[in-house]
Amino acid sequence: MEDERSNTRRAFLRAAAVGIAVLVVGVRDALAAPAPRDPGPGDDMPDAAKKVLRERFGARQIKDGHVSLDLPEVAPDSREVPVFIETDLPMEPDRYVKAIHLVVDHNPDIYVAGFQLTPALGKASIDTRIKMRRSSQVRAIVETNTGELWWAHKLVYTTLNGCV
Amino acid sequence: MTLGAAPAAGDPRILLPPGIRQDAVIYVRALVSHPMYTGMSRDEQGALIREYYIKSVEITYGGQRVARFEWTSGISRDPYVAFPLRATHEAPLHIAWTDTKGKVYTQTAAIAFGG
Repeated sequence: MEDERSNTRRAFLRAAAVGIAVLVVGVRDALAAPAPRDPGPGDDMPDAAKKVLRERFGARQIKDGHVSLDLPEVAPDSREVPVFIETDLPMEPDRYVKAIHLVVDHNPDIYVAGFQLTPALGKASIDTRIKMRRSSQVRAIVETNTGELWWAHKLVYTTLNGCV
Repeated sequence: MTLGAAPAAGDPRILLPPGIRQDAVIYVRALVSHPMYTGMSRDEQGALIREYYIKSVEITYGGQRVARFEWTSGISRDPYVAFPLRATHEAPLHIAWTDTKGKVYTQTAAIAFGG
């Protein structure tokens, strides 16, 4: 009886050891394999965000360029994400930046803010702080008085929901 | 996530750089205390806190409107904004923040050369 029990125990220990070995090998293989890149909230705009842009800008084309968007790659506090938007477009009486629009694809309010500017400012830039619900593309769209639209966007990773 | 005691709204501030030269582009920093509630957070009793935020900011320089901002509750609590301004003449810079309850917070700073 005593033997039988220790046999059972031995068998159990052996099985456990094999199990652990399998796990270790499995983990090692998983580590060795190239980690699949977390696609995250990618460049693809969600339909709701596309709708916001369509409502505001119609079918007008938004082109890449002329906008620099400075944001942290990872936001330590998603209740206060610093955003700096700047453009090299002219700020002259007849050619100027009329507005800077700020859009966050995955926020409850996708259109976060609109900044209407005039040539009296001399330059076009905005520095502010925004809330983010989760990791998302942040987009800055610059609109000129002649109706051109330029943008820049950046993916920002967040930890907590900052939409308080 | 619970929020601390409701901060008092108000205390509008304008910060100008020292030593402004004529025709230089300066950066104006503006700050106002405001909870900027989204309407999605709850108080300590678990009740939803109603949406309450600064919805517009109007900036005039020497009586002329130079910028206007439309905001949502996606702008952080105690909203901060910095923007450029070409200091063409000595005149007051006036900023008015309006919240969703219709309350207006105003502040004026003098654009003066030298100093």
